[in-house]
Amino acid sequence: MKLAVALPGFLLATPAWADCPLDLGRGTGWVVYSDHYLMAFRSDPLRIEVGEPFALVLNVCTKGGEPAELLAVDASMPEHRHGMNYRPRIVAKGDGRFRAEGMLFHMPGRWEITFNVRAGEESENLTHDIILK
Amino acid sequence: MTRLLVLLALLAAWSGGVSAQQLLDWTPEEIGSVGRHGPWPPSPVRDPSNKVSGTPAGILLGEHLFNEPRLSGDGRVSCATCHQAGREWSDGLARARGTVELDRRTPSLWNIGYLHWFGWDGAGDSLWAQSIRPLLDPREMNGEAARVAALLRGDTALTCGYERAFGSKPGNDDERLLVETAKALAAFQATLVSPRTPFDDFRDALVAGDRERASRYSLAAQRGLKLFIGEANCNLCHLGPRFTSGEFGDVGIPFFVRPGEVDPGRLGGLTRLAASPFNLLGKYNDDASGNNTRRTRHVQRQHTNFGEFRVPGLRQVGRGGPYMHNGSLATLEDVVRHYSEVSPDRLHSDGIPLVRPLGLTAEQSADLVAFLRSLDAEPPPRSTPAPLCP
Repeated sequence: MKLAVALPGFLLATPAWADCPLDLGRGTGWVVYSDHYLMAFRSDPLRIEVGEPFALVLNVCTKGGEPAELLAVDASMPEHRHGMNYRPRIVAKGDGRFRAEGMLFHMPGRWEITFNVRAGEESENLTHDIILK
Repeated sequence: MTRLLVLLALLAAWSGGVSAQQLLDWTPEEIGSVGRHGPWPPSPVRDPSNKVSGTPAGILLGEHLFNEPRLSGDGRVSCATCHQAGREWSDGLARARGTVELDRRTPSLWNIGYLHWFGWDGAGDSLWAQSIRPLLDPREMNGEAARVAALLRGDTALTCGYERAFGSKPGNDDERLLVETAKALAAFQATLVSPRTPFDDFRDALVAGDRERASRYSLAAQRGLKLFIGEANCNLCHLGPRFTSGEFGDVGIPFFVRPGEVDPGRLGGLTRLAASPFNLLGKYNDDASGNNTRRTRHVQRQHTNFGEFRVPGLRQVGRGGPYMHNGSLATLEDVVRHYSEVSPDRLHSDGIPLVRPLGLTAEQSADLVAFLRSLDAEPPPRSTPAPLCP
């Protein structure tokens, strides 16, 4: 999905988020948001293959512009009630940018990725679904 | 002449009709699923953690060492004792037999170079690390680093083969020579790629839209394949060209190896992996980039790993057996019956279970077996390895 196409109206409606750097360097990715957080991410490599390790490159922003922290990334298959066999490690790159290394989806189907983000005292889970064939 | 032409026309129409009847209807989604089980064979594999992987001298040394009984404690057992070329690189036994009978079956070595975890419990994160285990295990070859190193230093042909593979004469570090022996063994094993099969011909024809060629695949195998990728969902774990995710699962085989003793499977494998001086995080990994360590660094040990075993690839499956990690099922028909009748209570799944009783009819079971047997082919005959230093 092209980010510029996905969110223009949304960003105009929330001026503080217009400065959120959604460009992840490859012109493609996903966006998830809540009342307080806006996050863009893509995988590295761009194509996620079943059984192959990948990383996520992420930008996390808040509505109020305060710095946000990515505390955890995890993924599960809700239909089968199991998670990944691997535990990703998060590296902060500064300015709301993060990299989650060590993801691996070992089965085709629907995976729900959960991002635990925090700004100040409050933390929140954002989720995004990926269907893998 | 006219009669002949009529006869030929009738024959052509008949054969065309037969072809049309012998190809089931395949939806675009099904064709996509079938296509993901190929192409075959894959490109040759090279393991960056092993500096002699893919090198002719390393492979040749590895093949000689693979057949070398002097690596074992009593000088009578080689890798080839259990991994026999004529038995699909296994031994045909329900349970492997080293110095004693073991609790698990000897896994086939076909296509092993493409894996990421090795052994039924995944205790090895490289093929060379896995190759060290049976060498040293007192229940298997019962060897030791000093014995292996002395052989490499003392046998003229092996010394010469080592020098050609590694670029120097065998040194004084016994443990390093043990690792390098294992790396040569791994280089050889990674060349064991199973042959193309009737399934591969069908898969390629189906993907290419060649109905005539696709229709040569038996109807029973086609029906079995539809079950495999459809209702039975076998391809959730047996996926890709090798028909395995390379990961681990609990498919309802009993944990107990004898009264009061269980095989913890992957849970124990991960403990051994972390403790091994030969894992990819150690000093013997030849890949300085560290790119090949991601699985080892990030794998997590979870209680659900208890009783999980590696999902085996299915190529040449009908030519092997007995089946499952402990050889408890004698035939392919038994395996299909297991998945048809497995007890959901034993599997303790609280979501949509990955393994559930399929409740197959007799015809469906036969179709599934027909499909599995279409993953078999006669391998080309092997020639005796060339001398190490002619």
